[in-house]
Amino acid sequence: MLEAVKYVFKEHFDNRGLILKMAIVNMNKQTLRTSLGVLWLYLHDFVYFFVFVLFRVLMAGSGQIDGMHNVVYLVTGLIPWFYINEVLNVGSASIKSYRGIIQSIKFPITVIPSIEITAIFFKRMPTYIFIFVVCYIYGYLWDFNIFLFLYYTLCMLMLIYALMLVISAFVAVSSDFQQLFLVTIRVLMYTMPIVWGYKHIVGIPTLNYIIHLNPMVYIINGYRDAFVVGDIPNLIYSAYFWLFVMALFVLGSFVQYKLRRYYSDLM
Amino acid sequence: MANSIEVRNLTKKFYIFEKDYYIFKWLFTKQLKGIEKVALDNITLDVGSSEMVGVIGKNGAGKSTLMKLVAGITFPTSGTIETKGRIGSLINLSAGFNPDFTGRKNLYYKGMLMGMSREDIDDIMDDIIDFVDLGDYFDLPIRMYSSGMSARLGFALAVFSAPDILIVDEVFSVGDKNFQTKSKAKTTELFHAGKSVLFSSHSDKLIREFCNRVIYIKDGKIAFNGDVEDGLAMYNEDVERQGKK
Repeated sequence: MLEAVKYVFKEHFDNRGLILKMAIVNMNKQTLRTSLGVLWLYLHDFVYFFVFVLFRVLMAGSGQIDGMHNVVYLVTGLIPWFYINEVLNVGSASIKSYRGIIQSIKFPITVIPSIEITAIFFKRMPTYIFIFVVCYIYGYLWDFNIFLFLYYTLCMLMLIYALMLVISAFVAVSSDFQQLFLVTIRVLMYTMPIVWGYKHIVGIPTLNYIIHLNPMVYIINGYRDAFVVGDIPNLIYSAYFWLFVMALFVLGSFVQYKLRRYYSDLM
Repeated sequence: MANSIEVRNLTKKFYIFEKDYYIFKWLFTKQLKGIEKVALDNITLDVGSSEMVGVIGKNGAGKSTLMKLVAGITFPTSGTIETKGRIGSLINLSAGFNPDFTGRKNLYYKGMLMGMSREDIDDIMDDIIDFVDLGDYFDLPIRMYSSGMSARLGFALAVFSAPDILIVDEVFSVGDKNFQTKSKAKTTELFHAGKSVLFSSHSDKLIREFCNRVIYIKDGKIAFNGDVEDGLAMYNEDVERQGKK
């Protein structure tokens, strides 16, 4: 087990330059042939976000969610979610999509998910500006806490890296798993307090508890803390989150370590 | 290590899982529910520097598996492979190219995948441009190339990346006549510079032209290792005998 973790760390350390360079090259891979390039992606996000705002306003009026203006509530939840969502969709298939390369060039396979995750992160960083703009418009900007923001960004990246280590390996060797995972993502967003507030379910402790078992909820709530609420992280919940990430990382390392010699045969 | 390639008691098995999800059982319990296929069985082989070894055998005999094992793309089930120096593999020439990048950008891109720095590519860029002779196409996206053209680019990158061992898996059929002549000349040049070449082909003519030793792989085992003419004679005899059946 320890050997596997060491292996993954070493491969990442040895190829840190490669990860960075590949991430920059891959940033606008999907939109290379378009005239607007990466701006298309921001347009997607904006339209998607706008649909949610419209929906929310039509359904519930221009009220508040959990004591927060609903546009602000949506933007602080949706923008980080857009990143997570793209990683879950694209990053999970990253090793599979490198199939041609794995089968003809000697390549450090465990860094492939990291390359894709980093590329998507670089690409989406500018969308965070949108949160600041919305917060400014609604007068929340002075509540912004940079330390919490950086902390939760780190949390998000760590969770995503660890998760993708596991998922990308499973997806690469099993198409059944890929379908199962894609179905899960479809539902995932609605199980989290991204477009709905959860304060009204606090009264149902079991449900509240189950929702918070998802470590992504820690991040989504965390971003709201960083931009608006300003609460410091709950100690027990933080401990749970980091234990979860560590367990995922160990599992991911184990799977990657075991599969590293079999990828080119099994794909 | 005196030789460029030293293969010792190499066995390679492939696992074929009956159902997709059996793989998870194998991952966590090591229990194999499926078929085990032996591709290479206890192979021992040396290739010295300045040697050009031809690999012959039927389809599915294990030639490509051996090439991939030496190139480090797939891994042995048991036994060891030791190689000395940089390996240039001509296995799937257009792999790793991004169809939307230009020829020039793709050289940097694939070079990066192969572990070369930008400066390494800069150094050989002029030679490659001269060698591939793509004209205007060189600065157009690869998706506009014919398959032969992108294969030429892949070939050029592999041979100009200064390999110590060159692995050639049935690729001289790419490109037009002109390019074939050039690629043969370049391979011969590497061989004269003391590099080792592992060369698989179904063409007797090419094997005779290039190789100074031949290995005949039959059903995953080395059936013959030695003189080119003797090896080809043995192989052709087997082929004829099977054709009559």
